[in-house]
Amino acid sequence: MLKVDRLSYRYPGGEEAVLHELSIEVPAGGIFGLLGPNGAGKTTLISIIAGQLRAQAEKITLDGTPLEELRRREPASLGLVPQEFAFYPMLTCAQNLRFFAAVQGLGGARLRERVESVARFARIEGVMRRRAEQLSGGLRRRLNLAIGLLTEPRILLLDEPTVGVDPQSRSFLLESIRGLAAAGRSIVYTSHYMEEVEQICDHVAIMDAGRVLRAGALAELLRDDAAVVTVRQGRSLEQLFMHLTNRSLRD
Amino acid sequence: MRVLVALWVKEWLALARDVHGLAVLFVLPAAFIVIMSLALSDVFRDGAPRQVAFAVLAAGGPDVSQALADDLAGEGFISTAAPANEAAAREQVRKGRPALVLLVPDKFGADPSAKLRLLADPTLPPMQIAAFLHRLQGATLGVKTSSPPLDLEVVGNPRGGRPSSVQQNVPAWLIFGMFFVVMPISALFIVERRDGTLARLVSQRVPFPMLLAGKVGPFFVINLVQAVLMLAAGRTLVPWLGGETLAMPARWDLLAAVVASTSLAAIGWGLLVAVASRTLEQATVIGAVGNVLAAALGGIMVPRFVMPQPMQTWAELSPMAWALDGFHAVILRQGSAADIAGPCLKLLALAAVLLAAAFWLHQRRRA
Repeated sequence: MLKVDRLSYRYPGGEEAVLHELSIEVPAGGIFGLLGPNGAGKTTLISIIAGQLRAQAEKITLDGTPLEELRRREPASLGLVPQEFAFYPMLTCAQNLRFFAAVQGLGGARLRERVESVARFARIEGVMRRRAEQLSGGLRRRLNLAIGLLTEPRILLLDEPTVGVDPQSRSFLLESIRGLAAAGRSIVYTSHYMEEVEQICDHVAIMDAGRVLRAGALAELLRDDAAVVTVRQGRSLEQLFMHLTNRSLRD
Repeated sequence: MRVLVALWVKEWLALARDVHGLAVLFVLPAAFIVIMSLALSDVFRDGAPRQVAFAVLAAGGPDVSQALADDLAGEGFISTAAPANEAAAREQVRKGRPALVLLVPDKFGADPSAKLRLLADPTLPPMQIAAFLHRLQGATLGVKTSSPPLDLEVVGNPRGGRPSSVQQNVPAWLIFGMFFVVMPISALFIVERRDGTLARLVSQRVPFPMLLAGKVGPFFVINLVQAVLMLAAGRTLVPWLGGETLAMPARWDLLAAVVASTSLAAIGWGLLVAVASRTLEQATVIGAVGNVLAAALGGIMVPRFVMPQPMQTWAELSPMAWALDGFHAVILRQGSAADIAGPCLKLLALAAVLLAAAFWLHQRRRA
């Protein structure tokens, strides 16, 4: 289980903390939905877990071991699929995959095997020689995902992995992510698409202003909060989300 | 090592796809070399006004030296302390400080065979040597009724050459071009940061110093290629277009050391601009303006010897001036390792400081 325990964070030079004593628990083998309006602190939390921002490292543990210590021993234990197309547009898909595999220490036959495997998984084998900048939005998302899977990480952080793709690609990506969780990974999934989260996540945390407002098994949350929500709006995750985070615009 | 090689290969592939950006690194200095070498050839041929430091070393002792130095001083010639001996005099002239040393034999004036010897800095325009000889003739009239017998020796330049326009402009614009790697370095780095690629690499626990090293390798090679091509332009293109031919150094290893030191300083500057700038526009402005100011101050655009003395002092602050000193020590003065040690150490120290600053800034933002 990936556990974040009372984590606070303030950006250097920032006046206010963007995370306040934030705690979540992500069970192994499941998909944990991290929800919140813009500015809630989702991407900051993902960045801290991924090691991009330095925070109180001892407050993040995997099965009781501090994540930082685990990653020193097993650098490839965590995979990140950022919201941006975080690869080199001027390189081909194959060159991108080989590069990101090599910088994570893969080489030789193992590198070739992993590149082929993730390309097959993301169904991009047919475009491996095309430059990434020439790919459609859906293919770019799939390449972005494939890069995150190169080292078969135990923890996978997916930051809005379906933004800007057509329904077919979205459906494919969601199916793929379900398959990844079934293999025993801990997946943290952020999205603004509530129906997606309802479709694939078994646990969720709804955040706002750096705090967790509700967290737990999705089914339980919907049931427990139904009394509050259904009076006015019905019983869906989106309605619960809107109820908890208010309707005011954030940007 | 595998990670570093992967970073280098990626950088090469990325650069190879940016043909226009890469071309600027070669076309820009080559164009400046050709245009400025041809445009300024007459200025260098005729000589330009300059304050020239000289010293007199008389075998007859310090009093004789001082008396003659006092007579020679004035009209652009400044007397400096006499060197301890002839070896020291040669060493000082090799470095250009002072530019002239007059060696006066013991029986000068009494013995008709006793000849004066004048050691001259090879960067000194011939017109100023002629002016000094004219003053020397005047100063020795009390001793000799005719022109004094004199041997002129240009120290450190066996070809007997002098700084031609091409010898000033090839190193100068090569240095300028080398420092222009700031543009592609910062552009690639900022695009990596903007697109999340850098964050992804950090999350994959690629150490930031390794990421910096991944940039250094390819751009170091680019700088070396720039040096080879620009020197070749000075040997072939400029004479083909009617200019003079660049005289080449005797010690290629020293030239390589100066090129390498300049390259590392230029890359360090590029990486600091890349890390410090938040946008491409910022990097473009900081990089370009910084380069142009350093070039203007450092004797790239206007040779330092035509600058007034206070400006020459200020020029010492520019890393491009240090690099130019190194190139001149090798190409013009046929200097030794000791002659390039100063400029090279300054450039390497600057490179280390710039890289450390880039690393510190990155860590601070990540804290």
